[in-house]
Order: sequence, then C-alpha cells, then structure tokens
Amino acid sequence: MQLLDWLFRKSSDDARSKAKDRMKQMLIHDRLELPPDRLSSLEEELVAVVCRYFDIDRDTTRFDLQQYERKAALIANFPLVRSKT
Amino acid sequence: MTGRVIVVTSGKGGVGKTTASANIGLALAASGPSVALVDMDIGLRNLDILMGLENRVVYNLVDVVEEKCKLRQALVKDKRLPNLNLLPAAQTRDKTAVNADQMKKLTEELKGMFDYVLIDSPAGIESGFQNAIAGAEEAVVICTPEMSAVRDADRVIGLLEARKDEISQYRLIINRIRPHMVKSNDMMSVQDVLEILSVKLLGVVPEDDQVIVSTNKGEPLSGSSDNQKAGQAYRNIAKRLQGEEVPFLNLDAMDATWFTKVVKFFNPARV
Repeated sequence: MQLLDWLFRKSSDDARSKAKDRMKQMLIHDRLELPPDRLSSLEEELVAVVCRYFDIDRDTTRFDLQQYERKAALIANFPLVRSKT
Repeated sequence: MTGRVIVVTSGKGGVGKTTASANIGLALAASGPSVALVDMDIGLRNLDILMGLENRVVYNLVDVVEEKCKLRQALVKDKRLPNLNLLPAAQTRDKTAVNADQMKKLTEELKGMFDYVLIDSPAGIESGFQNAIAGAEEAVVICTPEMSAVRDADRVIGLLEARKDEISQYRLIINRIRPHMVKSNDMMSVQDVLEILSVKLLGVVPEDDQVIVSTNKGEPLSGSSDNQKAGQAYRNIAKRLQGEEVPFLNLDAMDATWFTKVVKFFNPARV
C-alpha cells in the first residue's frame, strides 16, 4: 500500500512543491513590500462593496496574488448568485 | 583593450560565490582571454586561498586605492596560467576602506588591461555589495535551490534591475543541485527556481564533493578535465559567458529509469 500511496500522493504534499508555493507567495509580498494583513483587509472591503449589489457565493470566492514574470497580479473571482434589489 | 566587467554576487553568504569566481576565472583564462579576478570581500579575503595563491599576496586592493602601490604590483599572477591575475582583498581592513567612485576608477583601469574583469562580491546588500557592483556592466547571480538563497537572490536581482542603465544583463547560476533530491520531490528543481525568479539561466552546477577537495588543494576544479560534474559545469559557464551556445547538463536524465517512466505514466505530477 505504501507504494500506491507514494504513486498517487498529491504532488502538492511534497517538500519541493511546498517550497515552491511558499517561495512564490513570499516573493510577491517581498517585491510589493506588502504587509501580511493588507490583502485580507482589501478582500473584506471589496467583498463588502460587491455584496451591496450582489449575493455572492463566499465558499467559491477566490482572492489571491499570482506571479507573472517578475510582477504580481491580483486575481479576484466573486461568483455571483443573484443581483440585489 | 576594453574588457567586460562582470560581478559575481548572491545576497546570501555561503552559496558559492567565491568558488564560482575562481572556477569561472580559471576556465575563461584557460580558453585564451586575459582575466583579472578581483576579491571585493574586504576584511574576509578568501579568493587567494581557493586559487592557491595565498603565499604570493604582497599588496592588495586597498593598497592600490590608497596609492600605496601601483595596480601592476598588487596583481598576483596565477601559477598555472600567466593570463590569469588576482587582485586580492585586504584582510585587515573593512568594507569602508573603499568607496563606489574608487571602485569605478579601479575597474576602468582593469578594463584597459584585461579581456575579463571578474569581481567577487561580498555577501549582503550593504556597502560592500554596492562597491562591488559600482563598476560592473554585467552580473552573475548565484543561488542554491534553498528558500533562503532564492529569496536573497531575488532581492539582489531587484537591486540590479534598479541599475539597468549600468548593468546591462544579469544571469543566474543554480549551484549545488542534487538531482536525486529533485527526483524524489524533496528539493526545488532548476525549472522551479527559474519560474520563481523569472531570470535567464547561465548555468547549473551539481553538488560535488570534489569542490571541497579542490579548495583544500588550492586548485579550482574547472582547471582539470578530470572532473565531469561541477568542473564541467563551470567550463560550460565560461563558454556561455563568451557567447558560445552550450546545452545545459541534463541532470534529470542522469537517473531516468524504467521505474520513473512507470511512475510518470500513473502520476505525471510526481516526476
């Protein structure tokens, strides 16, 4: 069974992927000189604004920073359920 | 003569800057051009040891800057190659003994004498590093596939980018890669590091016990064709610096067996 576990183990569990993911997030913050709590307060504010217009599906909301070359992009995805009246 | 001034730097200490400088310098000189190796780690002189030239040092870089001697007098000729010269750092002074303008003047003078001026930068990003990059036109950034080294390399790359007008290009050397650890997904791969840092690759140097042996002997590995691992990697790097296109050592192919192929079939993400 160990062999099967090893064969099918999710790649994101291993030290290599962990390091890579942590590295990417860390460098995005380093390069932008972004304090750790800044992103979550931005998310809160944005969600509050969007929620004035729409009901959104908070479970599938995506809000994070991604690296493009040596720059960062903010990826926000608020799945809309219905518009508010 | 107008030589190329290339600084070897890393941010983090202990990742192999001085070893890389010694090996690249020797490999460059072995292929013909004249080379000056400049040890900018003032106060922590080491490049002379790696070159096996520690007994020949009379004057140093600070003596030249303070005009206690002529530049020619301070240059130590390599015992293997007459076209390779070392300008040693001072051991009993500190980084404040020179400034950026003095370094620019010094590299200008060296450029007129040599085809390549290779500057071994101290660790850190403070004055010693700033002095080392002051007269440089190109940079070689060294890092190992470890998180702290990659983070520091990123910081250095940011600082080099801010000097785009002076430093026309910078390329990365990934040092001490252990193919078996990459294979077992315990270490970041060359591709991982390149993806994270988004820089051009100059070379990949595998972990090699012979590096320590060669340091102890004072004979850089790239000088003998016996060494097929790190030594070969440094010889390839020297060729790429001279504009030759040399394929990168395929470290992944070293142990691609039928078993890894089976694993790849079941779960491509693992291999």
